Amino acid sequence: MTTVVLPLVFGVFFGFALNKAGLTKYHKIVNVFRFTDLAVLKFMMTALVVSMSGLYALRGLGLIEFPNVPATYIVGNLVGGLIFGVGMALTGY
Amino acid sequence: MKYILNYIRKDEWSPYVAGILLGLVGIGAVWASDSLLGASGAFENIAGMIGKWIAPAAFDNMYFNFIMPPGISYGVLMLIGLFFGGMIGAATSGTLLWGKKGAANSDAQWKRIFGPQVWKRWVLAFIGAIILEYAAGIAGGCTSGLAISGGMLLAPAAFLFIMGMFASGILTALIIYRKNY
Repeated sequence: MTTVVLPLVFGVFFGFALNKAGLTKYHKIVNVFRFTDLAVLKFMMTALVVSMSGLYALRGLGLIEFPNVPATYIVGNLVGGLIFGVGMALTGY
Repeated sequence: MKYILNYIRKDEWSPYVAGILLGLVGIGAVWASDSLLGASGAFENIAGMIGKWIAPAAFDNMYFNFIMPPGISYGVLMLIGLFFGGMIGAATSGTLLWGKKGAANSDAQWKRIFGPQVWKRWVLAFIGAIILEYAAGIAGGCTSGLAISGGMLLAPAAFLFIMGMFASGILTALIIYRKNY
């Protein structure tokens, strides 16, 4: 039961946050690449800082274990990122 | 209480507030179900499912057998929730354009740069999404699955990905906007 409901609930909040931050809009995404509207960066970095400190604090208290950390392939991650940016600036998703 | 309700109805939140909400969701996902947030992987799970059904031989490879196994995964369920979450977000601020005229091409800036035709929006969105999904497959995640969820575990992969994403994103924006950059 929880394996079905939990991802749905997290997904709803995730989508809600993205929408309210304006990340579902084309101009928000493109303007961060034009440096005229940095909302995307502010949003991403705030989320990163909050969850980063929260997760490391919880792990320090022994309450959680980390899931598999995304693997590092230097070339793969970089090339993937480079292609990804093109698509992101084109479509604004 | 009234202030909070009014804030929820606002179309555009402060990115810091929305970021805190996403951060808490990220913590919750790891704590409650030992998983990371993500969106792009779900499309590959679904594609794998369709592929195995239509052309089993072509999809019988390393990638679809082990790295991205097909099926209704955690990510697929999250993607369904994500869709409705976005809709709820738009509905609460009264900007939901579902089924309304011109909804497919509603962004003023897009129209100024590319023109008001709806088919252009569809074609570019389709091509761009192929590029996005392909790149996410190479890198091992998208903005949410790798940059944010990987970054919150301090994975080096996430920061390499962000570097690449911004380098080419800025370049592409420069090419598209040229004089208007």
